[in-house]
Amino acid sequence: MILLESHNYIIQNTLADKLQKPTSLDVQFVDFDSVRFHLSTPERKTCLLLSMSIRCWDELVKYGVNDVLQRVYGDRVSPQPEPEYNVSLVLDLEQFPSEGEEREALIKSISLLKRNALAAPFELAFSAQKELAASGTGQGELLAVHYRDEEAIYVQASADRVTVIFSTMFREETDRIFGKLFLQEFVDARRLPTIQSAPQVLYTTRDPPLELSHIPNLIQTDDVGYVTFILFPRHFVNPIVAESTISHIQNFRDYLHYHIKCSKAYMHSRMRHRVSEFQKVLNRAKTEVAVVDKKTASGRTLVR
Amino acid sequence: MSILAPIICDNGTGFSKVGYAGNSDPSFVFPTAIATRGSAAQSTRTGPAVPSKPGHLASKRGVEDLDFFIGDEALANAKTPGYGINYPIRHGQIENWDYMERYWEQTIFKYLRAEPEDHYFLLTEPPLNPPENREQTAEIFFESFNIKGLYIAVQAVLALAASWSSNRVTDRTLTGTVIDSGDGVTHVIPCAEGYVIGSAIKHIPIAGRDITQFVLNLLRERGEMAGVPPEEHLKVASKVKENYSYVCQDIVKEFRKYDAEPYKYFERYEDEYSVTKKTYGVDVGYERFLAPEIFFNPEIYSSDFLTPLPEIVDGVIQQSPIDVRRGLYKNIVLSGGSTMFQHFGNRLKRDLKQIVDRRLENNTSGSQVKSSGVEVDVISHKRQRYAVWFGGSLMASLPEFYTSCHTKAQYDEVGPSICRRYQIFGSAT
Repeated sequence: MILLESHNYIIQNTLADKLQKPTSLDVQFVDFDSVRFHLSTPERKTCLLLSMSIRCWDELVKYGVNDVLQRVYGDRVSPQPEPEYNVSLVLDLEQFPSEGEEREALIKSISLLKRNALAAPFELAFSAQKELAASGTGQGELLAVHYRDEEAIYVQASADRVTVIFSTMFREETDRIFGKLFLQEFVDARRLPTIQSAPQVLYTTRDPPLELSHIPNLIQTDDVGYVTFILFPRHFVNPIVAESTISHIQNFRDYLHYHIKCSKAYMHSRMRHRVSEFQKVLNRAKTEVAVVDKKTASGRTLVR
Repeated sequence: MSILAPIICDNGTGFSKVGYAGNSDPSFVFPTAIATRGSAAQSTRTGPAVPSKPGHLASKRGVEDLDFFIGDEALANAKTPGYGINYPIRHGQIENWDYMERYWEQTIFKYLRAEPEDHYFLLTEPPLNPPENREQTAEIFFESFNIKGLYIAVQAVLALAASWSSNRVTDRTLTGTVIDSGDGVTHVIPCAEGYVIGSAIKHIPIAGRDITQFVLNLLRERGEMAGVPPEEHLKVASKVKENYSYVCQDIVKEFRKYDAEPYKYFERYEDEYSVTKKTYGVDVGYERFLAPEIFFNPEIYSSDFLTPLPEIVDGVIQQSPIDVRRGLYKNIVLSGGSTMFQHFGNRLKRDLKQIVDRRLENNTSGSQVKSSGVEVDVISHKRQRYAVWFGGSLMASLPEFYTSCHTKAQYDEVGPSICRRYQIFGSAT
């Protein structure tokens, strides 16, 4: 598994199960970036309520998340979200399409709830870019999404591109080093001729890129890094490409952390292997106990 | 921002149960299997591919270490050429740390979709797990995954905690005998105040897999399996075991009942062959009550293990310190899929009570003091199948959980040895 998927397995599995055999249910679970879900059957067994709490909801509302969700889920979006959660979907299992591709597509789209909510600022920026491109010049508004306590995504549209900036922060010393290497590798990898069409990546530590320089109170320590992706219109030329661009770029942080962890696991397996090899060498180096027949004075062999 | 729910990860020999604390069922139950590139036997012998000369790692490296599947996907891909299947846990203990680390990696990132840095983890370990294994586990979780905090609990203690959900349990104690019967082996584990009495633990080599095999033997002997395609045999046997079996109170009476009215008691099991889509059927008869009977009369199945389960339980309690024996008799808790048979608890209670009463009679015959009797109780409850996981979920939703955990900061300060000891929590005393 190289790429992380965007959909939530628990939602997908539970829905598929409950469509087969509806039972009462009350489960809470999470997704990346402190997103909390609550799936329950408050009234009857065939009517599920899926609620999501996401840290940056207020910002997302500003960027039109309600319209996006309305567009994707239609009247399934509950007008009154469950207390402590930001958004709720009412899923009436009796109104689900009968078994087949249609049903699976619906389940899949429900399990993409988090992705769709986070897609709002990107979609806004993409449409802003199209308007700016028509007028020729100017800069769009800087859309900030504080999706974690210490980290944020900034999206800004310009006339010829959309800039996406991730601020990254590593809590762990080792991760910081791995992270730096990885990010540097991202920048360098683009020089390969095979991936020329990938978005351009820039990476800076400590000093924020110029787009963010006007924001007050940015943390300025060596732990902070900024990764800038420059998306050109070809990356969101049609809805399908735009969709996959959004899905991938959203997962960037988790992708990065996943691979840091994978490389640690990779190193650990090698370390274990080396240790066992060295241990073999050490075992071989043990001095052999010389077996010498001991004779008594009378010439008989001493049996111990 | 409230703390996110802790993750409960119960990795067993056969199946892993993982999910978030506060729920009543695990989110995922899948086989503890990992399918990796290269055949199973070869990779364990030679270890990971190591370049011949140092310094050439980067250029020779591909993405083989990311090319693997876990759980149900592993079994599905096991037959794909180039993949070999591995089971990193043997007899409840982790054997291959390389595979286990990657197994956890994918469990967390692909299935649970959790950022491990934001979560506390509760892991389980079998009784008598060496402390070195705990250290290894802690190393992986703190250093690879940078988790916030870790608690490693003994499975038996969690099973005791899970029994609190039964309405027959009035006092929440962590004293009791746990009968944990999974797929591979059955353990009888006495616990006193949350501590496992290691010297008295007994293992019984009869568990789910043996019951299935026994059902299969019975069905074959009766000639029922003639119409069933050979590769479906094991599946049919396990379905019969799961869906129709129960524990009877008297085996002779049960035989008579079946012979008198076969149409009333015989069941018909029907299924479809996945390849040809043809349906086939099996008549299910004596297997229904004989299958779980191998716990109580092992001689009908095996020739080398002959002690019935109630006697073993009695022996285990008799080996424990005298001051906890009453508590152990009073609180016998079942856990694991192979204890799910109907009336299993009743039968065990009856047989054990007989053993205990007989001994009391013999003892008191000479003396003037009359024993007040020993209370024997076997507790079965609704959450028995995933009792260990459920107990973990209960424990981790208590506020004390966070104080009992070792945090990342503590780990960094002390090192892996900090995980050798864990504070017992949740006990009423």
